[in-house]
Amino acid sequence: MTFVKQPDRANARLAAPVRWADHGFAAIPTLWLAVFFLAPLCFTVVYSFGNSLFGAVELGFTLKNYQTALSGFYLTTFLRTVQFAVTASALCLAVAFPVAYFIARKAGRFRTLALVLILVPYFSSFLVRVMSWQILLARGGVLETVLNALHLHSGPLDLLDTKTAVFIGMVYAYLPIAIVPLFVVLDRIPPALLEASRDLGASRWQTFYAVTLPLARPGIATAVLLTAVPMLGEMVIPRLLGGSRGVLMGQAIQSQYMQSQNYALGSAMAVLVLIAVAILVAALARLTKGFATVPA
Amino acid sequence: MTARAVSTKGQGAVRATDAGLALWFALAILFLFAPIAVSILYSFNAGIVGKQTAQFTGWTLDWYPAAWNDLALRRSVQTSLYVAFWAALIALAMGTSLGYALVRHPSARVRWWLSGLTYILLIVPEVVIGVSLLLFYAVTGVPLGAATLIAGITPAAIAVTALIVRARALTLDPRLEEAAADLGSTRLKTLWFIILPQLLPAILAGGLMSYAFCFDNLVVAAFLTTPTVNTLPVYLYGSLQYGPAPSVYAAATVVFLFTVTLLGLAALCFQLSRKPGRAGAG
Repeated sequence: MTFVKQPDRANARLAAPVRWADHGFAAIPTLWLAVFFLAPLCFTVVYSFGNSLFGAVELGFTLKNYQTALSGFYLTTFLRTVQFAVTASALCLAVAFPVAYFIARKAGRFRTLALVLILVPYFSSFLVRVMSWQILLARGGVLETVLNALHLHSGPLDLLDTKTAVFIGMVYAYLPIAIVPLFVVLDRIPPALLEASRDLGASRWQTFYAVTLPLARPGIATAVLLTAVPMLGEMVIPRLLGGSRGVLMGQAIQSQYMQSQNYALGSAMAVLVLIAVAILVAALARLTKGFATVPA
Repeated sequence: MTARAVSTKGQGAVRATDAGLALWFALAILFLFAPIAVSILYSFNAGIVGKQTAQFTGWTLDWYPAAWNDLALRRSVQTSLYVAFWAALIALAMGTSLGYALVRHPSARVRWWLSGLTYILLIVPEVVIGVSLLLFYAVTGVPLGAATLIAGITPAAIAVTALIVRARALTLDPRLEEAAADLGSTRLKTLWFIILPQLLPAILAGGLMSYAFCFDNLVVAAFLTTPTVNTLPVYLYGSLQYGPAPSVYAAATVVFLFTVTLLGLAALCFQLSRKPGRAGAG
């Protein structure tokens, strides 16, 4: 390499005649996604302002659907969904952080194995795992038997079809994708920084609060994003573990489309979910201010 | 943690924290695997009058042949395999192209827009995508079928593949391409013989991940299935209202083993992709 004069990179680019290849690589997936992702989303936004007929929508401009979606039962459902997503995401983070910390700092040569163990369940059938929680949480089920045997609880356990069951299911389902970004940031903190903090007289807890936690901010933001967003639209877990009480936004939107056939109202509710997501993203962007990129 | 000398009291506290963390990790693993263990165990549960029960009522192997003989179940597995195959293939091609453009497109502004698009793909809740596609197909008058379902479940898989390929493309050594150009290779030849072989492990890992994702997709598929095109998760979800049969768990166990095998392959590909790339025709 040393005896050959290296060509200037910019010159090499200019000399390359096939610039259309670069544009092709960008254009083909963009075009595909424009048709099967962006266009449908635009349809939803446009139709949320339309007049609903049964199973069809008349285009127009009315805020009637938003008025309905933001009043009475629908408003309660929306607020409940936001509250559930925020709480479950925070719980998920609380469970995930020590796990990620352990894998990044303490697992030693078992760290790869530890990560794989965390990720394997994420790839088994989501639906079957949630169904299995029905067996675990049911009266006379596995959890009841285990808790009674350990003398942590006595008598029957009535968890299925409660809020608690929905929280357990949500934390369960999204725990792996909360752990991964936390692991990534904790892993990237140079050990020299922690040693410097210790050398300057900080205790272990002081080091954690003053060095580790602030540097983990992008990972925390990504973890919250990756858990809270799907939770805002979750429709399977609440139905299987929460029973008929406490319907969340995902089910409410689904029933507007599948049962009531009120596409306009369903669209308005979907747009509300997107607005909640956008607010969440904006809030999390503030948390990562000062960091160049958010790891995905 | 560090080699510095600490007082015995401090060491005790450190050891207690470490033990606490290890215990927390073990409990998390138990928490994550409990439902999987239960779903495998209960595929051998006798149940009551063909229905799954919370209490284990006795061992039986009947549910595996029962699952095999359930024609609707078998057809849904076939549909899932078929749909996931084509969706993963599209996601592989589109995701590779997008992932490469994210790193190598000459214009910084285009790269910025592309990465924005990639992140948006990951943060739109599935239920919103599902209803939007249903509305889109209804309004444009496209009849629902296998093709509309395949196209509908690709976006998230494209994003995942693009991010995996992007991570690998960031590590490409530009000197290899310059050397190829010096030796008279055209851009297309360089792409095919120098860049593609280096990206290949990441592309395969992305494709396999997409396959697993698409196979398991429930929410988007729930809106786009028709009586003739019914995937396994949607079929299971529909069967729940009558109470699931243990044969469902038997089918799930088989599918899980299949997925884990696929993931093992994906992990192997990814491991290979992290090794320094070997240039040249692969």
